[in-house]
Amino acid sequence: MSAKLEFHGISRAFPGVQALDRVSFDLQAGEVHALVGENGAGKSTLIRILAGADQATSGSMTLEGRPFQPKSPREALQQGIATIYQEKNWLPLRNALFNLWLGREPAGRGARLKFKEMREQSRKLLASLQAGNLPLDLPAERLSAGRRQILEIARALARESSLLVMDEPTSALNPPEQEALFAIVDNLRRQGLTILYVSHRLEEIFRLAGRVTVLRDGRHVATAAIGDTDRDALIRAMIGRDWSGTFPPRRSELGEVLLEVEGLSSPGAFQDVSFTLRQGEVLGVTGLSGSGKEELGLALFGAWPVRAGRVSVNGRPLKLSPGEAIRRGLGYLPADRKTEGIIPELSVRRNIALPVLKRLAGSFGRLSRSREEQLARGWVERLKIKTPGLGELCSNLSGGNQQKVALAKGLAAEARVLILAEPTQEVDVAVKFEIYRLIAELSGQGVGIILVSGELNEMVGLCHSVLVLREGRAAAFLDGRTADRETILRYALGQTAPPPK
Amino acid sequence: MKLSRARLLQFLSENGFIVIFLLWCLFLALATENFLTLPNLMTVLRQASIVGIVAIGEALIVLLGAGMDVSLAAILGLAGVLVASALTALGLPAALAILIGLAAGGAVGLTNGILVTRMRINGIVVTLGMMYALEGVALVYTGGQTIFGPSLAALEPLARGYLGPVPVPVIVLFLFYAAAYYFLNSTVWGAHIYAVGNNERASWLSGIPVDRLRLSGYVAAGILAGFGGAMQAGRLGSATAAMGSEFLFPILTAVILAGFSLSGGRGKIEHVLIAAVFLTTINNGLILLGVPLNIQKIIAGAILVLALSLDRLRARSRP
Repeated sequence: MSAKLEFHGISRAFPGVQALDRVSFDLQAGEVHALVGENGAGKSTLIRILAGADQATSGSMTLEGRPFQPKSPREALQQGIATIYQEKNWLPLRNALFNLWLGREPAGRGARLKFKEMREQSRKLLASLQAGNLPLDLPAERLSAGRRQILEIARALARESSLLVMDEPTSALNPPEQEALFAIVDNLRRQGLTILYVSHRLEEIFRLAGRVTVLRDGRHVATAAIGDTDRDALIRAMIGRDWSGTFPPRRSELGEVLLEVEGLSSPGAFQDVSFTLRQGEVLGVTGLSGSGKEELGLALFGAWPVRAGRVSVNGRPLKLSPGEAIRRGLGYLPADRKTEGIIPELSVRRNIALPVLKRLAGSFGRLSRSREEQLARGWVERLKIKTPGLGELCSNLSGGNQQKVALAKGLAAEARVLILAEPTQEVDVAVKFEIYRLIAELSGQGVGIILVSGELNEMVGLCHSVLVLREGRAAAFLDGRTADRETILRYALGQTAPPPK
Repeated sequence: MKLSRARLLQFLSENGFIVIFLLWCLFLALATENFLTLPNLMTVLRQASIVGIVAIGEALIVLLGAGMDVSLAAILGLAGVLVASALTALGLPAALAILIGLAAGGAVGLTNGILVTRMRINGIVVTLGMMYALEGVALVYTGGQTIFGPSLAALEPLARGYLGPVPVPVIVLFLFYAAAYYFLNSTVWGAHIYAVGNNERASWLSGIPVDRLRLSGYVAAGILAGFGGAMQAGRLGSATAAMGSEFLFPILTAVILAGFSLSGGRGKIEHVLIAAVFLTTINNGLILLGVPLNIQKIIAGAILVLALSLDRLRARSRP
């Protein structure tokens, strides 16, 4: 094998932050090379530099032995490097054809689009990805996350790329879609593509990659063949110390009923859902994407329209609106924390203190900076939020740290019923277990927790009871202490009790 | 049943203003004698022609997600003045005079585009400033006087001529829309305009020259406004510094009424044509009905709100 691409001492400095510090490693032609590291380790910055979307402060790259210094995404694409980003990178209102050929539309004289060719080539490409039935005429916003992901891969292939960068490609996919993606990646590798695969999920890496590189705090820590390492060694390299991830014990006694949900329905999202939540209980709500679990979480907080059913808190009916929910002691942590969880133009301190400003304020509502700071400092330390200071604007923090601020904000409100939507999505391994510990601690204090999550580990490791949704209906109600992941998944997929069509 | 209701909502949300437009036409056809006559329909289309042509440019800017261009009416005014004075003062042939108008419009559009893409100033701010500046330039240039003279008759075929029963401006209007439809739907340029409006970052990451595309949008909008200026000078047979100002709101209204998303990426150019004609029929119909001028404004406002509210059905049917 020969080196497809080499990084030589790549550094990238932002004001106040050294995002990358003399990173050197190489990608061998035809390998799947995994890149791992905690949030803020510099993975995204490295990818952007490779893709021409950002430029290194110092250091260089070589592509097949020749110097490679893309000044724009266009240049990198022309040299055969295609990147599939984690962020929403598609045209919501345009159909699959325009999404697939974005930036490289086949055209004839006078830039006239060759629709016939677009269509035929699309069919061929999608068939090679085992996705021949993907509808070409629907706007992308009406396709599932999995199909959009396939479109992005097809877009990269349409450019006849030789090096494919995939940034957390499975984060928005449900298990069957993930399996399909793995098969595609395997297949592409066999066709000779070089793939740089960035993921938080170590299982995926052991399944797909030939080698793995670990970044920590912007530095290259290790590159190893996948056979020469294991999960614990990788985690040690990522967090820089010994670590063992175990779920905290569950509280054994549950208190009185806090929340009662009866026959809650919202057309198109969920139907006839009922459950109760006791003091100190951790109730897991899970299902595939599109099962209605996110919408159910929102509806309980009054942020999703409900057609029928009722919710009571402490035996009294709850009027479904966010303002009323907060007054009655409900808290909600949105899944899309970057857009719904924080206010980027405010400081870290103010973001964390925002839901409890009233409580922190002095007489006549005068804001108390010292109390705000005290509260914020506590959370910054607890969640290890990397920020130059409490007064830093949230928009200047890395994506992962913005998420932690959102999490702190959700937890600082001290709700009696806390609805957490995907609280560990895209967070570091270490923070993930810190969050689990927090959930157990809150549960010990008598807070009722509704954990909306697609992570089956969390269902079996943390929850007292698990509500499995399938196509908006309760497919099963399981005891979290005895349930296993396979059972949950079977209910979520509808394999245990196939519904009559 | 549920599905058909959803489909109906979907249809109305995309085409709601067309339904109101057709109902309004039906009402006028029944309530007045003259509305549904060939000469009146041709008048309506002729009156819609200038707004319709300039609104194509506005539609491009809105599609690109650049907010909106509020300077187009002022460009129209300045171009009208320049075309008129090229004919009267310089005695140039009509074609050359029109070319000067187009060049002036294109130059102003280029300036707008450079300020937006190079200096990174907000598009609405840039064009708002440009609007005031251009009105000032036109006033200084004309000295506040009206430009007129027999040589302006050279523009008459364009503005008031007929080809058989069809006014020339109407033919020009449809030619421009046919071209705009072709460019937006069948060329790479159009595909990229929709792409940038849908997701600017994704487009940039896909190698699309986002800034150059925006620039081209502003230049095209400026040229179209310049052409509108030449037509208006020909229609009036004169030109004043303020001749553009009456177009400011109709241009914006046509694009918004056509269902274009102000955040970019959504909208059909043929709907802008319908919206421009709709706006003209409101005035035309109210005159035919003999409604007093001041009352006309109230009713026109009410019809617009009604048409727009149907467009928002989807926003309400979705949480």
